[in-house]
Amino acid sequence: MSFGINKGRDPDSGYVTCGSLVKLLNTRHNVRLHSHDVKYGSGSGQQSVTGVDSADDANSYWRIRGKPNETCQRGVPIKCGQAVRFTHMKTGRNLHTHHFSSPLSNNQEVSAFGENGEGDDLDVWTVQCSGTYWERDDAVRFKHLGTSVFLSITGEQYGHPIRGQREVHGMPSPNQHNYWKVMEGVFIQPSNEPLHHDEL
Amino acid sequence: MLSQFVIFFYPFRRDFYKILGVSRSASVKDIKKAYRKLALQLHPDRNQDDPNAQDKFADLGAAYEVLSDEEKRKQYDAYGEEGLKEGHHSSHSDIFSSFFGDFGFMFGGNRQQQDRNIPRGNDIILDLEVTLEEVYSGNFVEVVRNKPVAKEAPGKRKCNCRQEMRTTQLGPGRFQMTQEVVCDECPNIKLVNEERTLEVEIEQGVRDEMEYPFIGEGEPHIDGEPGDLRFRIKVLKHPLFERRGDDLYTNVTITLVEALVGFEMYITHLDGHKVHIVRDKITKPGARIWKKGEGLPNFDNNNIRGSLIITFDVDFPKEQLDDQQKDGMDKARSL
Repeated sequence: MSFGINKGRDPDSGYVTCGSLVKLLNTRHNVRLHSHDVKYGSGSGQQSVTGVDSADDANSYWRIRGKPNETCQRGVPIKCGQAVRFTHMKTGRNLHTHHFSSPLSNNQEVSAFGENGEGDDLDVWTVQCSGTYWERDDAVRFKHLGTSVFLSITGEQYGHPIRGQREVHGMPSPNQHNYWKVMEGVFIQPSNEPLHHDEL
Repeated sequence: MLSQFVIFFYPFRRDFYKILGVSRSASVKDIKKAYRKLALQLHPDRNQDDPNAQDKFADLGAAYEVLSDEEKRKQYDAYGEEGLKEGHHSSHSDIFSSFFGDFGFMFGGNRQQQDRNIPRGNDIILDLEVTLEEVYSGNFVEVVRNKPVAKEAPGKRKCNCRQEMRTTQLGPGRFQMTQEVVCDECPNIKLVNEERTLEVEIEQGVRDEMEYPFIGEGEPHIDGEPGDLRFRIKVLKHPLFERRGDDLYTNVTITLVEALVGFEMYITHLDGHKVHIVRDKITKPGARIWKKGEGLPNFDNNNIRGSLIITFDVDFPKEQLDDQQKDGMDKARSL
């Protein structure tokens, strides 16, 4: 069974919206942003974030949400420049970076932090893209609000017990290593307001 | 004289509105809601004793296909079923799947009990935020699911790899046991991304943490079946109304004069309708008015509603009263 109801693609369905669950592919190294219940052996000792080759791992799903204490309405397209958080579906921790060194390349360590989706202000990233809204086909960058680094992968690989997974870190400069694209996911479309009941 | 009535059967004159049980002015949301409810009831697997089950189910699919599409509905309203220009495009199983997921049509029984030996892909759980307005009136959320699907590819691959102990004879009476990885050969599989639209219903009265599963829409498993996609409802806090079960609580501030003399007001409810409040007695701070039937619809029976409880705060004047006002209050003191 391939395609479902064939609706004309309306402009909104091409956008990445708030509340959507997505996998993020690093376009230079062809791996997906991933996390799991494995802590760094150095640096902060927090939950590690890596890049993986597989396309069918549920541990690569991240939910896109607004900044802490800010409503990001379900289904509304995310603007270029907007500040968001990425909450790891399986562990409820947020994509996070801080002034610790990454284990393999000595860049800035990127971890998954918090409980049940709540961490702190270092969980916030801004989406950098060229148009008005973040489109599903775009390759975009994520710039950390607190430390100004870009979410990147440069290819260093871990050994046992996460053999082959790539190091994810923050780098100060924008380059070809910090482009990301949404791939698999559950993309929430904008909703109509519930209709008013005239007969009441 | 005997009248003889001959009844002709017109195969293409179905009343789609009647099949769905909706009025001719039904909204798309009403149509989706009606389809979803009836699809579960009329599915042939659930009605194995009914010889007409397949037909009824097919009629339901056709009705939804036409009435949920703006163009087709216009044509149907004007010219009837015969006037529809194109044939059916969507298969009913596609329509059904967009509301319930990729069933192998397994009803009556937990999916997990079907066959424990078939490995399953991971489940995906998505927290779906809903407003109190949506809990009151219901809504549908459309999502686009892009997922990897296991497809056959040329060649073979290694599967069911396991460790086995092998015994080798080194000499008379001397043996060595080694561990070896042994695999079977399976048809080769590749993962291809596919996309479909799913319709998630926010049912009236839905409660926090309730889940809506879409079978088979989770992650694939190369050696087995895909897992499920589950939407977990998270009801957002509302700025004006607080939910407690099926009841709604709200606070209204009245002036001191209103508290003493009485008042009439309208409160705007979650769907925009106005609730009329009249009070002709003294209202103490913290006093409550109960409006039966103005709460939330009950999830199990939408016709039952909770109550709206309004608590009144009294706004005392912020500044001191001047002499003229004090004089006026003195005169009123004979209460």
